[in-house]
Amino acid sequence: MVPGEPFTVTRKILIIDDEDDIREVAALSLESVAGWEVIKASSGAQGLARAEEYQPDAILLDVMMPGMDGPTTFRELRKNQATAGIPVVLLTAKVQGTDQRRFADLGVEAVLFKPFDPMTLSAQIATALGWK
Amino acid sequence: MKTSPQSGNRADATFSQAMDGLWVRFLPEITERVAVLEAAAQSAGEGTLTGKQREAAQAAAHKLAGVLGTFGLTRGTVLARELELTFARESSPRRAAGVKLAEVAAELRTMVESRASSV
Repeated sequence: MVPGEPFTVTRKILIIDDEDDIREVAALSLESVAGWEVIKASSGAQGLARAEEYQPDAILLDVMMPGMDGPTTFRELRKNQATAGIPVVLLTAKVQGTDQRRFADLGVEAVLFKPFDPMTLSAQIATALGWK
Repeated sequence: MKTSPQSGNRADATFSQAMDGLWVRFLPEITERVAVLEAAAQSAGEGTLTGKQREAAQAAAHKLAGVLGTFGLTRGTVLARELELTFARESSPRRAAGVKLAEVAAELRTMVESRASSV
């Protein structure tokens, strides 16, 4: 796939990440490479509100955030009937085995790692979520 | 949607330019994180590293590890991760370790400045 060649289905993705640089690169990647619609949130609390309001097809959720971290945000998403069914992909720079096991045990659909390749991020998400 | 090789190349170039734009936009934050690491490494070498400074260095290294490779600086991610683990593992790195930390931080700065000058 080349930039500007979108998947056949346009997806709506919510990115929740407190780091401006990562959030903007991920947004650029998903918009430009896959042609997906992106909604952005810079905190867990803002992400919960936007998930309920926009009903995205999936959420890309950072793990380490001040205040409400990724795992807590995920649990809150699952508690709310309006957001409980939205697939969540965790995005983390943590690479230690114990962290990976802990994240997998949370019940998220997938865990992706930073740094990611902006050219293939959308494909990684699509594959992880079983999107054609 | 099908694209010709030429339009694919144009799209590649456009995307690359957009990435360079983001690099320039966030360079001050990235440079500041490197400065935090340099200061912590210097303090470690002098035996004056505080707990607060170590936590700040660990956080800065974590963020750099996450972002540098995304901008193509794979080696930068490796170095930042090395610093993150060192600051996480050692509550007070020995003075000798401070020299090594300073070398790694200096290599990070060179890498960041090199990419900056190529944009």
